[in-house]
Amino acid sequence: MKRMPLVLPKAPLAVLPVAVVVLALGIFVVDTVTELEVAVAVFYVAVVLVAIGAFRRRGVILVSVGCMALTVLSYFLTPVGAPRSGLINSLISLAAIGVTTYLALKIASAEVAMHEARAQLAHIARVMTLGELTASIAHEVNQPLAAVVTSGNACLRWLAAEPPNVEKAQQAVGRIIADANRASEVIGRVRRLARPAPLRKEWLNVNETIQEILALAMSEAEGGDITLKTEFADDLPPVLMDRIQVQQVVLNLVVNAIEAMAAGGGQARSLTISTARDGPKAVRVSVADTGVGLEPAALAHVFDAFYTTKKEGMGIGLAISRSIIEDHGGRIWATAQQGGGAVFAFTLPTSRAEVS
Amino acid sequence: MSAPAATAGGDADRPIVVVIDDDASVRAALEDLLGSVGLQVRVFGSVREFLAAERVDAPGCLVLDVRMPGQSGLDFQREMSGAGIHLPVIFITGHGDIQMSVRAMKAGAIEFLAKPFRDQDLLDAIQLGIEKDRIRRRDAAALAELRDRHASLSPGESAVMARVVSGLLNKQIAAELDVSEITVKVRRGQVMRKMKARSLADLVKIAERLGIE
Repeated sequence: MKRMPLVLPKAPLAVLPVAVVVLALGIFVVDTVTELEVAVAVFYVAVVLVAIGAFRRRGVILVSVGCMALTVLSYFLTPVGAPRSGLINSLISLAAIGVTTYLALKIASAEVAMHEARAQLAHIARVMTLGELTASIAHEVNQPLAAVVTSGNACLRWLAAEPPNVEKAQQAVGRIIADANRASEVIGRVRRLARPAPLRKEWLNVNETIQEILALAMSEAEGGDITLKTEFADDLPPVLMDRIQVQQVVLNLVVNAIEAMAAGGGQARSLTISTARDGPKAVRVSVADTGVGLEPAALAHVFDAFYTTKKEGMGIGLAISRSIIEDHGGRIWATAQQGGGAVFAFTLPTSRAEVS
Repeated sequence: MSAPAATAGGDADRPIVVVIDDDASVRAALEDLLGSVGLQVRVFGSVREFLAAERVDAPGCLVLDVRMPGQSGLDFQREMSGAGIHLPVIFITGHGDIQMSVRAMKAGAIEFLAKPFRDQDLLDAIQLGIEKDRIRRRDAAALAELRDRHASLSPGESAVMARVVSGLLNKQIAAELDVSEITVKVRRGQVMRKMKARSLADLVKIAERLGIE
């Protein structure tokens, strides 16, 4: 499996290496001027911990070795104190630095492995959701293709006329090109969703991001006799997000809603996707349906992994959705709607600059 | 047979194909294709749009998408005759299954075409549909004419006609209606004249079409 380039959202990258150096030198100076009995060198573990956030594995080891070297150097440079207890102190400090480095690297690599596993799981869930949408995708592609074939035939007929109607034929070809592009766009969108994509956060408009995948959802809704409504708030601030992942969450909520309604009775089936501001610091996206709704007991567990109320569900869609939303610094929750149906909503934090 | 009753507009007999599809591209392409073979076309994005539009009294047929938001083509087909729409239906669909097509054909559809379809298949189906509609319209017009004739009969004549076609003799009719045999004869002549029946057999046939037993 390809390794996902992983950039953990931490402090600006240029600051950390400087902090490592400044901290190390500071500890060195204090360690050197204080008496040998004072084990200032133990604080080098802080340098190692900061370095974990700034460097890759090899860099962290180098920093750790550097700290050890500084500890030894301080021992020889320190003018005052008992050399015997100073030696023991230094050895303790060296051991502390070594153990901290080892453990920190272990934790960091476990974190990377966890992120990779989560990204893969998210990808699997996404492909599974797409699998449920195959009929819709086929319909979305087939529709423009049907128009292309029909326009092509019309074009041939205009050209075969006596005299040939070139103007009409040109119009037909113009439509053919537009429809072929439309089909290709649908395929492009599906491929983007199906690809195992590295996490890439950009400042994006929530409405546009949802709009992009709406055609797929729309087509699925029509198949189930469901009215799909959108209530998008204007002038929403941009959100720092991974487009594919947020689309995955919305698609997942929509597919769930459609399935909940397919199982429900003959009441009016409507699905509403709405966006709104959620306080000054966040944008909220809600997907409301008029389906079977959720039992109070289920409400507490729907986001748990492998919890499902569906016959053929695996119970990972919502769990993945939650991990995606939380990774974006947002919140996801479900509420029962009065008079049946459920509302799933999530928030995404907007830029900090917006607030101030 | 008599010609269909003339209606407003001299173009009344020129067939019109109605296309209902929610996809604008498909609509535009169909409109152009049918236009290229000289057919008159009216396109609509939904069943509701079609119902809201003024209906044109001309032979024609309906090219109907199965899967549409709002009312689906299949549902509409079921409700059409109730709404007084008798256009023959040709279904086009993005992904039809056998079950769906069986349902449509049983309900009287001319053809069930999967998108993308061969243009000739559609045009053939449309020709067939228009032809069927022409015949249906002619029959309906003829029946309407017969109804008019029957309506022009007096109650007495109508009573005599019902008994004549059920096989009673004049004498029996006279007894049943409590009138003279001469009166029955006179009314019977009137019936034959007003109904434009050439013979007793002809009158029986007319009565059958009018549902008089």
